[in-house]
Amino acid sequence: MWRFFAGKGAQYLLVVVLTVAMNFVLPRMMPGSPLVFLAGEDVGFLTPEQRAQLYALYGLDQPQWRQFVTYVANLARGELGYSFQRGRPIAAIIGERLPWTLLLVGIALILATLIGAAMGALAAWRRGSTLDLGTLGVAMFFESVPSFWLGMILIAVFSAGLGWFPIFGAGTAGLSLTGWALVVDRARHLILPLTTLTLITIPGTFLIMRYSMLSVLGERYITTARAKGIAERFVLRRHAVRNALLPVATVFMLNLGFIVGGATVIETVFSYPGIGRLLYEAVLNRDYPVIQGTFFIITISVIVANIASDLLYPLIDPRVRRG
Amino acid sequence: MMRTIIRTLIGLALVLAVALPSSGQGTTLRMAITRDEGSLNPYTYQSGYPGWNLMTLVYDPLFVADADNIPQPWLVQRYTVSPDGKTWTLTLRANLKWHDGRALTADDVKFTYEYVRRYAHSRWTSQVRSIESIETSGPSTLTIRLSAPSSGFLAQPLTDLPILPRHIWESVTEPRRFNDVIGSGPYRVAEIKDGQFYRLVANDGYFAGRPKVRELVLPIVRDATVTFTALKAGEIDTTVRALAPELVSEFDRAPGIKVVRGAGYASTILQFNAEHPVLRDVKLRQAIANAINTRLMVRLLLLGYGVVGSPGYIHPDSPFYNKEVTFTASKSKAVQLLNEGGYVDRDNDGIRDAPNGTPLRFTLLTLAGNPIRIRAADLIRTWLRDVGIDARVVAQEDASIIAQVWPDFDVCKGRRFDMAVFGWSAPVMNRVTVLRDLFHSDCRFGTINIGGYKHPDLDRLGIESGTAVALEVQKKVLFEMQRTVAAEVPIHVLFYQDGIYAYRTDKHSAWVYQKGQGIVNKLSFIDPPKR
Repeated sequence: MWRFFAGKGAQYLLVVVLTVAMNFVLPRMMPGSPLVFLAGEDVGFLTPEQRAQLYALYGLDQPQWRQFVTYVANLARGELGYSFQRGRPIAAIIGERLPWTLLLVGIALILATLIGAAMGALAAWRRGSTLDLGTLGVAMFFESVPSFWLGMILIAVFSAGLGWFPIFGAGTAGLSLTGWALVVDRARHLILPLTTLTLITIPGTFLIMRYSMLSVLGERYITTARAKGIAERFVLRRHAVRNALLPVATVFMLNLGFIVGGATVIETVFSYPGIGRLLYEAVLNRDYPVIQGTFFIITISVIVANIASDLLYPLIDPRVRRG
Repeated sequence: MMRTIIRTLIGLALVLAVALPSSGQGTTLRMAITRDEGSLNPYTYQSGYPGWNLMTLVYDPLFVADADNIPQPWLVQRYTVSPDGKTWTLTLRANLKWHDGRALTADDVKFTYEYVRRYAHSRWTSQVRSIESIETSGPSTLTIRLSAPSSGFLAQPLTDLPILPRHIWESVTEPRRFNDVIGSGPYRVAEIKDGQFYRLVANDGYFAGRPKVRELVLPIVRDATVTFTALKAGEIDTTVRALAPELVSEFDRAPGIKVVRGAGYASTILQFNAEHPVLRDVKLRQAIANAINTRLMVRLLLLGYGVVGSPGYIHPDSPFYNKEVTFTASKSKAVQLLNEGGYVDRDNDGIRDAPNGTPLRFTLLTLAGNPIRIRAADLIRTWLRDVGIDARVVAQEDASIIAQVWPDFDVCKGRRFDMAVFGWSAPVMNRVTVLRDLFHSDCRFGTINIGGYKHPDLDRLGIESGTAVALEVQKKVLFEMQRTVAAEVPIHVLFYQDGIYAYRTDKHSAWVYQKGQGIVNKLSFIDPPKR
């Protein structure tokens, strides 16, 4: 048992080390530099001495290997550094943006999994029927539409058109609300981005569940169960669905890790202040510390999700239990 | 009888509601911005526009440019300049206060000017480099001595550099990580939610009077389409984004929304790499300029909301515009110039070749995020193809383009490109030294000479434009420079897009359009102080 964890542990450590190195190297390989964000837009007017002064201030004049050592040392201390662009501690920035991402993407993932699994089970059970083909078609549609287009359509219809929901933001700008009013305000702002994200995530789960169900329904123990006279709905619920859920559960746990990466396009369309957009802008701005910090958080969460998946899977699938 | 009275009262109320200008004294104005602007103090604001504009609602420079871009005394009550242009004596108004109640004095001014010299700021450090010494005498008077007369000194830094409170900034050694926002301006920063919005409230004790709008809420709306949808739906009152040409007629017709239009000083240009072995031939550049129908470009890309580019760079509405320097593109002239220059198709592949055999094949860079520039590049490609020149359009993101065209934003670092569809922001046009900045061959003076162009007349006149203090001399120098620029075509100005801005009329309508720049400026929110 412990050898298993030591082996896995070593694997994960290797992943962390590699990712930390890549997070450092990749952004610096891009052409361009963060100078305009260190100095301000009219950076063309700086003299060489002034540029040198700025670079020195941010440690960018050091040789790359020394910058790397500083970066790793800081990371080990839990110090994520300061954003070039914002001049604020990155931990604070991420701390403000992460909850919105977790809220949006987390709920979307849970809803998409529940709805997708239910639809997939139903479609497989009534394979070939209009219900099956209909849901398959709808799933294909939402799988293929660009998320920003879907978001814009929802805005056009429900916000600008019907006025049911606000058009942008996580909350009404400028207002300080408390208690129930606050919850309602945040909820109203969440609904459209959540709907968009859920709609485009459902097809993935739906298809996995459907195929999984189809393969399970072809198994002999299903025939046996029916032969034993068990009511169809119990065959479905107790035997088929539970077994068909295994791949869905795996995918769900893996996706949990990626939540932290956010949903950049949707965050852009709805101006939702999540991590995805933060990372995207940091890349454009060559804000190395923010890129490094955010990627590191994503790496850690993916690894944690993997570990959780490894630990939980044997609980739901006895076939892979060890010892 | 009662009915008549009621009807009259209702009528009166309606008339009053319509007749009274939106004073907005109790209003909250929601103005959408496009990105984070740091903590809105002089060292952390991010963009020239709208960052600098918003920051100057919170902080004051000594002078403020009026609607015609002419500096007007603001914190300064009166000033004198010595005949040789090297000594400036400024007297501040009395009763100037910081947001925390402390008095703003000449000490703060002296501190600010010395601070930006010490702590490099891309915008202001170079503006103060000609200052030799600053002395204060009393709380309101200071004398600035320059090492040499500077033609743009009134504009930069006197109208540009906002004054910092010494009692707060004197111990700050890392200005870019300092997030204090105590200023002296008509608005104070009340709330900042990173990534979401800014909230500014009126500074009622402001020396020039009460600001016109009580509260400014600036939500960050990242997508352009969503911004204008929100404006139409009334979820925001205005935005710092310029209205795209194709939306103008729709917003013109929309009830409750007004569209203002004015000259735009931001330029879109075709930038040549003057060091390129083939493009260094002036005849070739002239031919390329002739092949491009900029009039049609303005009609197609800007739907007419723009001005054809001047061959001397200066916008027709600028007081320095030399109207005798003209240019009309002609395809036949382009063909004639190419033939004269020995550019003929020697190998029958449809592309002309230089006398030494090099085919006229170039890469045309353009910014990926700007649809108008991409379409301009596409049009240029088509028109150049018509005259036998191959220009391949390559659209890339900001930083990649900069890395090739203006590496590290340092002209001294050289360049690696053929041609690029580029552009300069509005404030560039307002500088007296604009043509020196654009074309001087010494990279310390030609700070935006990204093509690496060199011409002795432009160098000599460029230096003069930096030291000429009298307006007439400045005009004479710039007029002559425009003639040379038009003849030499180091860059080809395509067009200047008009500034078009839309706003809802019910909240605030006293917007002031600053020529070349737009409506987001101090004067839209507060009237100039009485003399």
